[in-house]
Amino acid sequence: MSDTLGEGKLAVSPSPEASVTGGDGARKAPSPARRASGPDWRKRFEIALLTGPAIIMFVAFVIFPVVLAAYYGFFKWKGFGPPTEFVGLENYLTIFRDSTFQDALQHNAVIVVLSLVLQGPAAVLLALLLNQKMRGRSLVRVLIFVPYVVSEVIVGTGWSLMLQTNGAVNDLLTKAGLPDWTVDWLSDPNIAIWSLMLIITWKYIGFAVILFLAGLQSIPEELFEAAAIDGATYWQTQRRITLPLLGPTIRIWAFLSMIGALQLFDLVYIIWGQYVAATAGTSTMATYMVVNGRNAGNYGFGNAVAVVLFLISLVIALTYQRFVLKRDTEGALTEGKK
Amino acid sequence: MKARKLLAVSAAMVMGAAGLTACGGGGDDGGSASGDVEMTLWHNSTTGPGKAYWEDMVSAFAAENAGVTIKLQAIQNEDMDGKLQTALNSGDAPDLFMARGGGKLNAVVEAGQAQPLTIDDATRTAVGDAAFSAFTIDDEVYGMPMSILPGGIYYSKDLFAQAGITELPTTIEDLEAVVEQLKAADIAPIALGAKDAWPAAHWYYFFALRACSQETLDAATAEMTFDDPCWTKAGDDLAAFSATEPFNEGFLTTSAQQGAGSSAGLLANHQAAMELMGAWDPGVIASLTPDEKSLPDLGWFPFPTVSGGEGAEGAMMGGLDGMSCSKDAPAECSEFLNFLMTQENQEAYATAFQTLPASQDAQAVVTDPALKDVLATYNEAPYVSLWLDTLYGQNVGNALNAGVVNLLAGEGDSDAIVQGVVDAAAKE
Repeated sequence: MSDTLGEGKLAVSPSPEASVTGGDGARKAPSPARRASGPDWRKRFEIALLTGPAIIMFVAFVIFPVVLAAYYGFFKWKGFGPPTEFVGLENYLTIFRDSTFQDALQHNAVIVVLSLVLQGPAAVLLALLLNQKMRGRSLVRVLIFVPYVVSEVIVGTGWSLMLQTNGAVNDLLTKAGLPDWTVDWLSDPNIAIWSLMLIITWKYIGFAVILFLAGLQSIPEELFEAAAIDGATYWQTQRRITLPLLGPTIRIWAFLSMIGALQLFDLVYIIWGQYVAATAGTSTMATYMVVNGRNAGNYGFGNAVAVVLFLISLVIALTYQRFVLKRDTEGALTEGKK
Repeated sequence: MKARKLLAVSAAMVMGAAGLTACGGGGDDGGSASGDVEMTLWHNSTTGPGKAYWEDMVSAFAAENAGVTIKLQAIQNEDMDGKLQTALNSGDAPDLFMARGGGKLNAVVEAGQAQPLTIDDATRTAVGDAAFSAFTIDDEVYGMPMSILPGGIYYSKDLFAQAGITELPTTIEDLEAVVEQLKAADIAPIALGAKDAWPAAHWYYFFALRACSQETLDAATAEMTFDDPCWTKAGDDLAAFSATEPFNEGFLTTSAQQGAGSSAGLLANHQAAMELMGAWDPGVIASLTPDEKSLPDLGWFPFPTVSGGEGAEGAMMGGLDGMSCSKDAPAECSEFLNFLMTQENQEAYATAFQTLPASQDAQAVVTDPALKDVLATYNEAPYVSLWLDTLYGQNVGNALNAGVVNLLAGEGDSDAIVQGVVDAAAKE
């Protein structure tokens, strides 16, 4: 019996003839005697007033640029003046034929999978640990969460300095008597992607842990008590009660993690710079877009890459929502009023 | 991971837009003989004497020309291209902006965003035709050269002495021998900021300058074809040189100019003995020494000769920093640029930026020994090619840079560099 996030369950379902389906869960007061359009109109005005600014911002800074990018993607355009040289789908063909892009796509896929595989289990275990009463719990929580709060640029700069061939990490290894362990953490193509994954895990695991801790808070205590009375061991309890009830949280976290991994840009760009990323095997679709679009002055081509990145993210997001998040978000994101 | 990226990007766009509108403003109203004229000028000197130089010039010009005010806006060098592009597109361009000639300026001119300059006879004589040629498109000059920045190898005299090197290398074999001597003395031979790619690409460009004739270089500029065998030879020469492992450890993730760990910083702190760079390097190195003063033992020698090439003996490669006027700038724009080119003002420029002035009358003011050597070689050179990435424009320059980094990392060869340029043409 899962406790869903949807609020549709709590709200009394609106009567069929109600024109405004506000999911506000307001009690249906007996309808007033005046059946004027006044309150209805006023409610609409209120909704428009409250959501208007946000919608305008969203359309102006999200929807409109996406549409413009789609438009520019059909042109060869140097970025000066209006685009004139229409080339149809040629940019898109170039993208998929370009081995550099294929590499970047592959790196993205690796980052998506490894983010889930590395962070998920570790974060669940950490959340279980930090859910116990123990000394120094707040300190550990803070330490795990701090990297997530620090800006990507600072994290990237710091790690790139430490992982340099002559950097602190190799220096430490040498001084610890392990000179054979020193490697080119950043420029060796076999190692660079793992260095990146280490940094990503260190940085973003705090976010997962906080989410899971919040999820754990919402599991009713009675279930654990009942399990204890029935003689369940600690691990049985976690497997049969905690994990299933944490499911919605884990699924939402996985969703956010995948979207983030698909659009990864800043860490790679800061640590490897614009050209070395492709050589070291850490380039992503976003860095490819900046290098071959903006930095090369090929704005039409760059916009086409942006559209490809957008479509790939969109398809993955919709598929995931359709098949995985469906139960958790019943009625919240979809119109699913079944 | 987070899904806040889009929002962050939008926020950055809003900030950028706000920044641009904040520095927008007048100047589009053209200049009339009687009315007041206001112009905006974008330069890349955010600190120190360079910034002071621009402030001095603007007030001096205003004192001579009543009613003309010039608003200065200092923009970080790495941000300049992007901001300028946005400003030109939004019709809110600065009246005066930095330009380096070649393909980049070509793109601006082709889009009708820059205006031809009126050059005084005095200025033309002082600068000479060579420097103007980089800014000349269809017989019109679109940029005023402010400084000449020829490239070569900067080195530390102390470290060379420490390694027992007495003769400066003149051939590539000599250079390889010097590298071995430095390694034997446990000194990193050559600092290279390959993270930024263009410093690595400079090595390829110089090998190409030695391998290809002037005609081949010109033909490549005109037709964007790189099928002459000399391009492959340049790549092979670089690969052979790179195989001797002359560069500092971790050069692939070393940046060029940022902090003590950058290639300029390595030279400034005696952590490496040499660096191949343009004539801005003494100034950059000076800003990274422990006491932030010029490196006293900095010397310079030209890029060594390579046997079997078609390039003329003593040919050089370098860049130019200049200023251009955008299409709606008033006539005072050209006037101000000519004003900057007087001997006194060019001397002030050379002193402020620790570099070589474009005006030959002002070159006497150069005192830095390394820069004096650069100047002597420059004045002897049969021809001076513009940096190839500037010359061939952003797109091809970008592909060349990426190809060279791959080659140095052992991921590609000389054919792959040429192929990369061909592939890039499809994206243009």
